[in-house]
Amino acid sequence: MSQGMILVLMGLVFLSLGYMGVPVAFALIGGVLVATALTPISFQSIIGQLFHGIDSETLLAIPFFLLVGELMTSSEVTRRMIRLAQALVGHLRGGLAQVVTLFSMFFAGISGSSAADVAVLSRSIAPEMDKEKYDRAFTAALIASASTIANLIPPSIMAVVYGATGNVSIGGLFLAGVVPGVMIGIGLMVYSYFFGPTGHLKPRAPLVEIFAAARGSALPMVIPVLIMGGILTGWFTPTEAGMAAAFYILLVLIPILRPRHVRNLPSDFMYTGLLYSLPLAAVAGASAFGWMLAYLRGPDTVAEYIQAYAGTDARMIMLLLVLLFIIVGDFVDAVPAIIIFMPIILKLTELGDINSVHMGVVIITTLVFGLITPPYGLSLLIAAKFVGVPFYKAMLRSFPLYIVFLLTIAFVVLFPEVVLYLPKWLLPESVGCFKNPSGTGYICPR
Amino acid sequence: MADSSEFAINRALVIQRHRHLKWPALDWLEALLMILCGVCMFGFTLCVFFDVTTRTIGYPWLWLQQVTTGFFAWGVFIGMAAATRRLDHIYLAEITRRMRGAKRQAIETVNRVIMLVIAGFMVGFGVQNALLDLGSFRMPSLVPMTVYTAIVPMSGVLIALFTVEQIVNGFKNGYAGPEDSEFGAEPVE
Repeated sequence: MSQGMILVLMGLVFLSLGYMGVPVAFALIGGVLVATALTPISFQSIIGQLFHGIDSETLLAIPFFLLVGELMTSSEVTRRMIRLAQALVGHLRGGLAQVVTLFSMFFAGISGSSAADVAVLSRSIAPEMDKEKYDRAFTAALIASASTIANLIPPSIMAVVYGATGNVSIGGLFLAGVVPGVMIGIGLMVYSYFFGPTGHLKPRAPLVEIFAAARGSALPMVIPVLIMGGILTGWFTPTEAGMAAAFYILLVLIPILRPRHVRNLPSDFMYTGLLYSLPLAAVAGASAFGWMLAYLRGPDTVAEYIQAYAGTDARMIMLLLVLLFIIVGDFVDAVPAIIIFMPIILKLTELGDINSVHMGVVIITTLVFGLITPPYGLSLLIAAKFVGVPFYKAMLRSFPLYIVFLLTIAFVVLFPEVVLYLPKWLLPESVGCFKNPSGTGYICPR
Repeated sequence: MADSSEFAINRALVIQRHRHLKWPALDWLEALLMILCGVCMFGFTLCVFFDVTTRTIGYPWLWLQQVTTGFFAWGVFIGMAAATRRLDHIYLAEITRRMRGAKRQAIETVNRVIMLVIAGFMVGFGVQNALLDLGSFRMPSLVPMTVYTAIVPMSGVLIALFTVEQIVNGFKNGYAGPEDSEFGAEPVE
């Protein structure tokens, strides 16, 4: 059988098993094992690859960012941030919808997980939205869409996986993700203001209340500063920054704000221990899949197809990749998708002479969109379940919100200088700049 | 609408969802795996903390990084086994939840047989890898790689055990349970 046929068969086996209901990690391994049987590769080395795929210190950041999200959620410290968001935007038209989005932007600075964000919002704001007669399908669609911001505004688990597998600066990806994250947030707020349900109109919060809410959430809001400050000053790697944030919550936030929660900490650790293994099991399977894909020269084949249409035009390459990843994101979870397709991404990054951080943000923003698109829109699935509405109804209400995502993706592709502004300013080496040998400042590639 | 009790249920040591697919006799094992997940999470959190601290004060403990990656990798594969019993894995689709009768019985069984085969590969070739790794060592502590990679076949054994448990109970009690309406989906034949 030709390599191309094996490649297609491997993909088909994975998708068939996945859609039959086999867990993603096992569906990936199943696909690889079938391909292995048709190549001279030994099964032993493929099973070994499962371990080597996760044997990376950079991936350690994932459990820490999940732990931070879980500790904040289970201790209910997040309520203070919700209060701040309510004080700031609760008076606007569609006040609670605005609160959902603003809170997601705050929470994104603390946790890198969309699922944690959906859990917090479904538990705290969704019942309030129900009382104010918001359509439940809209509530689920908005919560799911807003939760995707967690993967863009740092810290982002997708950025950690992308950086770890593609050897791209995670700090650079974190900073470059701010622009699309904020754009999606603002887009959702504008949509809710003009086209969403009105909700109960409330008076603007007095300055005293805003000040009190800001003071109440000051301690949790230190976390984004701790994480990004630590990374930017070079004190911490992303993993260590996650650990520092977790210790800050354990030693400062919980004892001061929720001392009674201390007895629940063992349960938080156990649950996070289980939680982090889920995406990383998929990473293990995906790394074996990606390894086999590279062996079968999949990156070369796809790169040749894309080159035939786009030549070496960077924008065309990125637009075709966006199309590819919109389709991929509809069917495959983002984390395995990044790992499986990384060899292809790297090949095309080189072909189009594209800045690797820029390419990373384009891919991550596109995959973030996949979290709310059917049939496998993970955030939308979770939000629909928690809010208590059939998935298809939430899906229909999310269609208009796609515009916000598509405009953001187009912006990220077309305006790299805006997207890379923050990394160039704060972490120049991350985007390929180097110190000017004859003076101060940096010399950056175009 | 989700409430606090649902979140508490998801965090339980032994989850009561899909009770009809579980043998009570294996509940202790699920509880133990959950505790081990917590131990691994706490273990590498502490290790990274001490790693940063000892490095900052100028007396780095180099072996800490090896303990960290050990806890991390073991945690992934222990969690993979626990998630198999709790049916907590990431799924692309849960079409079987919307099915009833013989069709569901057949597809659910096939899915688990596939998982069983994969678990078999993890055990068989994982043992071979672990034996081979007795000759490879991690610097600087010279710990054999087997200490790390042995978890792959062990996880495979647990996954196989839980899969068999689900196949047997699925045949006896059927796979469908009251939890299947969670997404509000209509049953289809």
